[in-house]
Amino acid sequence: MKLRLKTLSASTVLALGLVSGQAMAEELRFTVWTGSEAHLKMLNEIAESFKATHPDVTVRFETIPAADYTQKLTFQLAGGNPPDLGWMMEDAAPTFAAAGVLMDLGPTLREAEGYDFADYSEPALGLWVDGEAVYGVPFSTSPFMIYYNKTLFDEAGLEDPLQLAAAGKWNMDTFQDVAKTIKEKTGKWGFEFKDGQGYESRIMHALMPPIRAYGGDVWANGECGFDKPEAIAAVQQLHEMVFKDKSIVPPGEQGDYFSGSSAMTINQISRASKMPEAGFDWGIAPLPSGPAGESPVIGQAAIVVFERGEQKELAAEFVAHMTNKENVAKMAQFFPPARKSVLESEAFTAANALIPADQMAYVSEAIEKGKVLPSHERSPQILAAMAPRVDALWKADADVKQALAGVCAAIEPLL
Amino acid sequence: MAEALREKSSARSWRAPRLTLRQREAIEAWLFVSPTVVGFLLFFLGPLVAVVYFSLTEWNLLTQEATFVGIQNYVDALSHNPDFWHVLRNSFVFAMGLVPLNMALALTLALALSRPFRGVVFFRTVFFAPVVTSAVAWAIVWRFLLQGEGGAVNQMLALIGIDGPNWLREPDWAMVAVIVTRVIKMVGLNMILYIAALQAIPRDYEAAARLEGASNWQIFRMVIWPLLAPTTLVIFVITMIGSFKVFDHIYLMTGGGPENGTLVLAFYIYEQGFKFFNVGYASALAMIMFVIVLVLTVVQMTLRRRDMQ
Amino acid sequence: MTLTVRQTRLISRICWTLALLIVAVPFVFPFLWMVSSGFKSATEIFGQPSLIPRVWRWQNYVDVFEYQPFARQYFNSLYIAVTVTVLTLAISSLAGYALARIRFAGAGLLMIFLLSALMVPEEVTIIPNFFLIRWMGLTDTHAPLILLPVFGSHGVMATFLMRQYFLAIPRELEEAGKMDGLSRFGIWWRIALPMSRPALAAVSIVTFLFSWNLFLEPLVFISSLEKFTLPLALSNFTDSYGLPLWHLQLAATSLAVVPILIVYLIAQRQIIESFALSGVKG
Repeated sequence: MKLRLKTLSASTVLALGLVSGQAMAEELRFTVWTGSEAHLKMLNEIAESFKATHPDVTVRFETIPAADYTQKLTFQLAGGNPPDLGWMMEDAAPTFAAAGVLMDLGPTLREAEGYDFADYSEPALGLWVDGEAVYGVPFSTSPFMIYYNKTLFDEAGLEDPLQLAAAGKWNMDTFQDVAKTIKEKTGKWGFEFKDGQGYESRIMHALMPPIRAYGGDVWANGECGFDKPEAIAAVQQLHEMVFKDKSIVPPGEQGDYFSGSSAMTINQISRASKMPEAGFDWGIAPLPSGPAGESPVIGQAAIVVFERGEQKELAAEFVAHMTNKENVAKMAQFFPPARKSVLESEAFTAANALIPADQMAYVSEAIEKGKVLPSHERSPQILAAMAPRVDALWKADADVKQALAGVCAAIEPLL
Repeated sequence: MAEALREKSSARSWRAPRLTLRQREAIEAWLFVSPTVVGFLLFFLGPLVAVVYFSLTEWNLLTQEATFVGIQNYVDALSHNPDFWHVLRNSFVFAMGLVPLNMALALTLALALSRPFRGVVFFRTVFFAPVVTSAVAWAIVWRFLLQGEGGAVNQMLALIGIDGPNWLREPDWAMVAVIVTRVIKMVGLNMILYIAALQAIPRDYEAAARLEGASNWQIFRMVIWPLLAPTTLVIFVITMIGSFKVFDHIYLMTGGGPENGTLVLAFYIYEQGFKFFNVGYASALAMIMFVIVLVLTVVQMTLRRRDMQ
Repeated sequence: MTLTVRQTRLISRICWTLALLIVAVPFVFPFLWMVSSGFKSATEIFGQPSLIPRVWRWQNYVDVFEYQPFARQYFNSLYIAVTVTVLTLAISSLAGYALARIRFAGAGLLMIFLLSALMVPEEVTIIPNFFLIRWMGLTDTHAPLILLPVFGSHGVMATFLMRQYFLAIPRELEEAGKMDGLSRFGIWWRIALPMSRPALAAVSIVTFLFSWNLFLEPLVFISSLEKFTLPLALSNFTDSYGLPLWHLQLAATSLAVVPILIVYLIAQRQIIESFALSGVKG
């Protein structure tokens, strides 16, 4: 009797096991903004490896052009044709999270075997975590670094930022000095804002790093930080550099770093791929520290799962697979990882063909300690409200304090 | 038997001309316009009704939450939102600047290039080149040329002693720059339309006027211009409406700045709908734009009709 | 010393040509820059400005086709533009003719309705159209890219242009046709249409261009890379971090310009030819 019961239960369990393993062929739709063959090849390889645990699941990667990615994604979600999962840009994250369209991946990730959620650097997760809930997993965490033109520094007879950083002398004051000297001695611009867009589409990227170096922030806890003394000091310095020293590329002018017209710029390591054609010696260095110490800034992109997708649990499992230690190390060849174990590995610091290991060490440091760019669920509205006030700031005769107060007045109602 | 046949034929001959000429013509006409009408109803009128409906709601495209708010969106735009009037003013300034400039230039070029001469094909292609240049490339080049210090435009102005402004960083000058660059980009299209219209004017009219000793200017004013009037009206309406809808050019040249100096209604609508996902508000703004343009068009057409009569 | 008539005319011609050349500079310079940038490397484009590339990078054009299924996307744009043009010419000339020549009840009202189609920006009608197309099951197909331009605001504009032209043509030949027993359709097909060649040429240029450059509709309706049309494909020449690869984008754009210029040159000849015809007639 007992034996029979055992056999019965055993065979039931077996049968159930067979039935559940017999999932129908499923396809997950994954939106990305890259069309690069190299990237897609790697992504497809990760999808293939998922078949080890989920034999009937294929993943289809759909490319949406980066400039319209968020809009197109919204259309798909609104039109009842949502992808299952996809990449998400950091500036859209709070809006999407607040709208309730992103699935909480916390439970799936924490329960996944061998995942080690604690391996993720906490500051790196800042944007994607709300209490216990996890709305996205960053797959690319790219710090802002200073790119410098060594040839120009040599011409001006100056120590380059990397040497200054190693000696602990790389701060906002020396930054202003070297920029001025380079302008005077070589006639080229000392510094260009990120992608030359510091007055247009990247005003946050332009203002943020100095403000943070001075110990301020653009906003915190619903309060505007632009009119605080730290921010005013930081922006004042920038203003001086643009209009008095004339060492920063002013509004309406072009001074592309990559063509050799500026000695320094701020950018992320992905841009290193442009350097081989540049025709000058170059390197990267950390951001200049300020009165408040070092303050690395990081830009991110994450993988999210959409609540409206029909296979969200399966998608969540794929995310867990894609962001485990092994695959993050694999993606690190293109996308700086947020996992501490990978960051500290030799593989990462030695992997970049263009950037030597000593400079990559600064990159790792920045990822571990860096803070993401500020975000808000009403980011687009805030930026739109900020833009005209910031335009008023970038005039030779502008009163910096007043202009910043104007910025706060414009965005406070939205915060 | 013959009588029965005669009765039958006379009965038939009574039935034949049932439709009047007018009615037959009307059926013909409606057949001719039927594809246009069907498509119009399906792809325009239907969506337009939907837009009107959306404008009465507050609908976030992302969250999919929709609430019926009646005319609140309109009230918000017209009385609670100072930005709206600023945007409207910008749109008007842009349109008032662009339309006369575009049409005058198009007509001048067309007059110069409507008669064949050696090189006419070359010039017609050259003036059309901006139309086919991508808006992105156009913006990149002009932003480069309009630089405050190192830009070619200011360098050339310096040659004749003028200190050029920082074109794209001064709100008023940015508007001028955006208008002029847009005109250069699009005038080729109106030029072609004017050339086609000029071709329709029989040459004898001009020949006759010349025989009577009329000067070129008189020929233009008395013969050509009046005959072009209907085309001018159509071109005017199309260009005017188009100038209110311009979006990508401004987006690429100035992003609406500086200090929102070039923020026009089409950009504002795009921003509201596609960046902030406020479909309801964007739809209301679009309806307002629709009414404005409709009024302007009707006014123009009635004025012209009175002229032509 | 007074000049002969011939000399005056020559000087006048030279002055005119010179003036035209000067005016032409801002028109053609950006175009030339675009084409020459297609041969430069990305860094050279924003370096020292020059029209002639320092190094001619033919490789760009090869890369363009390798980066994405560009040839396929090119073909998509081509056949869609041709279809849209042919359909628009047919439908707008039919409707334009009726509106020009036939007085029928409701004509005025119809014209106002049609005109109103021009006045709403496409950014707004696209949202309801998106739902309509989805309901029709036509998302990620080329159908909306054909239907919307032909029947939307562009088709209306074409109709008005054709009507305009038909109004200006003298009626005698059509009257003659009617007396010969041609039906209304016959008159349209055999007489009015051939006479309206300049307008057809102009409309075909404008329509082809409009369809070729459509960006918002493909963005909203198309998902698969192989179904992309050119404008969408062009904006996709970015590195994986979203920054445009200018050298590829501008090379691809230069390629994209070629068919339009071809259509334009052909259409130009139509315009010139018909001028010659009407001149002979006179």
